[in-house]
Amino acid sequence: MMEFQDRLNRIFREVFDNDDINISPGMTANDVEGWDSLSHVNLIVAIETKFGIRFSQKELLTFKNVGDLLDSIRGKITP
Amino acid sequence: MPFTSLQYFLFLPLVYLVFYFVGDRARWFVLLAASFLFYAALNVPYLLVVLMLVVVTSYGFGIWLNQASAPKTKRALLWSGIAANILILVVMKYLPFLSTNLKALTTLLSVNAQIQPVKAFVAIGVSYYVFSAISYLINVYLEIVKPERHFGYFTLYMAFFPKLLQGPIERAENLLPQLKAKYEFNYDNMRSGMLLFAWGLFKKVVIADRLGLYVDAVYNNVHSYTGLPLLLATYAYAFQIYLDFSGYTDMALGSARLFNINLTQNFNSPYTATSVADFWRRWHISFSSWILDYIFKPLQMQWRNGRNWGTAAALIVTFLVSGIWHGAGWGFVIWGLLHGLYLACSVFCRPYQKKLHQALGIEKTRPLEVWQIFVTFNLVCLAWIVFRGNSLEDAWYITTHLFTNSNMRLIDSLLAGQSLKGFIVTLGSIVFLLVAHYLLNGGFQITAGDFGKHLSMKPVWFRWNVYYAIMFFILIFGIFDNAQPFIYFQF
Repeated sequence: MMEFQDRLNRIFREVFDNDDINISPGMTANDVEGWDSLSHVNLIVAIETKFGIRFSQKELLTFKNVGDLLDSIRGKITP
Repeated sequence: MPFTSLQYFLFLPLVYLVFYFVGDRARWFVLLAASFLFYAALNVPYLLVVLMLVVVTSYGFGIWLNQASAPKTKRALLWSGIAANILILVVMKYLPFLSTNLKALTTLLSVNAQIQPVKAFVAIGVSYYVFSAISYLINVYLEIVKPERHFGYFTLYMAFFPKLLQGPIERAENLLPQLKAKYEFNYDNMRSGMLLFAWGLFKKVVIADRLGLYVDAVYNNVHSYTGLPLLLATYAYAFQIYLDFSGYTDMALGSARLFNINLTQNFNSPYTATSVADFWRRWHISFSSWILDYIFKPLQMQWRNGRNWGTAAALIVTFLVSGIWHGAGWGFVIWGLLHGLYLACSVFCRPYQKKLHQALGIEKTRPLEVWQIFVTFNLVCLAWIVFRGNSLEDAWYITTHLFTNSNMRLIDSLLAGQSLKGFIVTLGSIVFLLVAHYLLNGGFQITAGDFGKHLSMKPVWFRWNVYYAIMFFILIFGIFDNAQPFIYFQF
């Protein structure tokens, strides 16, 4: 459970170049400095590469917060 | 029936009275009937058919989308619904443009084809409600909103008269619940709605239309001018189109507020933007958020492996579509392309800009901000030239002669054939606008709320002075006979 969140947190810190980030399920783009539409693409591509998964267009358009992202990753990795 | 017409000044209170005296159960019907009357007053009967076609299509596809369970079927239904809407839009708006360009192409390729010139339809409102319909279908597909089953409320969502002709392009999740809410008389809404309406009227008939006289004099006869008048007319156009469209929006929001309905705010001091991206967060917001959500984001994600190149390409395509949406003409296409290029360039330049600002120690300083506002405003104005220019040749002439020496006397440059009195009135009303705006907001940025709400909170003496000043300007200096139609009607 926490393992995914830790791995995702490392990716967030890397993408936004900020070691103080501690993600939580309720977190949104407004809570992270520099999380705009440009860095969002980098974040998604980094997650897909590191986890070896691929999000669908529909998922990408409906993610509202970090929790949605986590749920989707979990659903793809644990069958 | 434009918002600035005498008929509308009678229509709106009359609709309100009927709305007020019937019970809650019949209120949606009053607004719906009023909306159809309002649309029918354009005297273009086929527009009512087009509106109903869009309504029925979107209503049907919305329900089917919800009933289908297989992802493949859902996708097919979504695309069919979007295609049907786009087909209607193309037939209404783009056939003459397509046929002219096809004809030119066949001539160029020396192909012998019989292409008849096509007459243009009147398409007022169509691009706005077609975009509402598409957003509704996508949001039903993404399960952001449940499909509306009440056909009356759904039709009203599409046809609600304050936003029918020129937006704001409303999302179903914002407007539908408000249309269904119980009505209770609200004095604050009433007052701030009427104030907002009057303020919009002032912006339109006093300032925008007066600036329009000057802009038209220069832009309809560009070869008579060089240098300063071309530059001034371009700046004047930037303010004309802003005050025209934001004036319209104020009147739309003000009208809707009488019925306790809050439409989306379309503007947030767009010319104080510090980058072109920032400009698009402040200009025609209901439209820019539409193209961002439904064109840019899906494309950007589709092309995400291309990283910055993918984003840049998505921006260019998005703004090309934005240009085409504004009208079937090469000027609009190039205007969209220019904005797309501005934004695409900034994708690559921004990290370096940021480093440069840090190295110089000017990051987040006031002088840098002022400089950025200045540059952004001028980039936006440069793009307005091709948007307003009567032809591409004219636009090219203006762009290449902005800084050419003008032999005109300064006063002739400033008047361009208009009277000195008109010039002073325009200047005076702009000063009044800026001062009122500054006093109400404590600055030029709009924080929250709008003119109507801000003014309602001021002391009595202040409010009444502003009331009288607005009435004075509108009655004495407003241009009502041969009034210019709202610029965004044509889109």
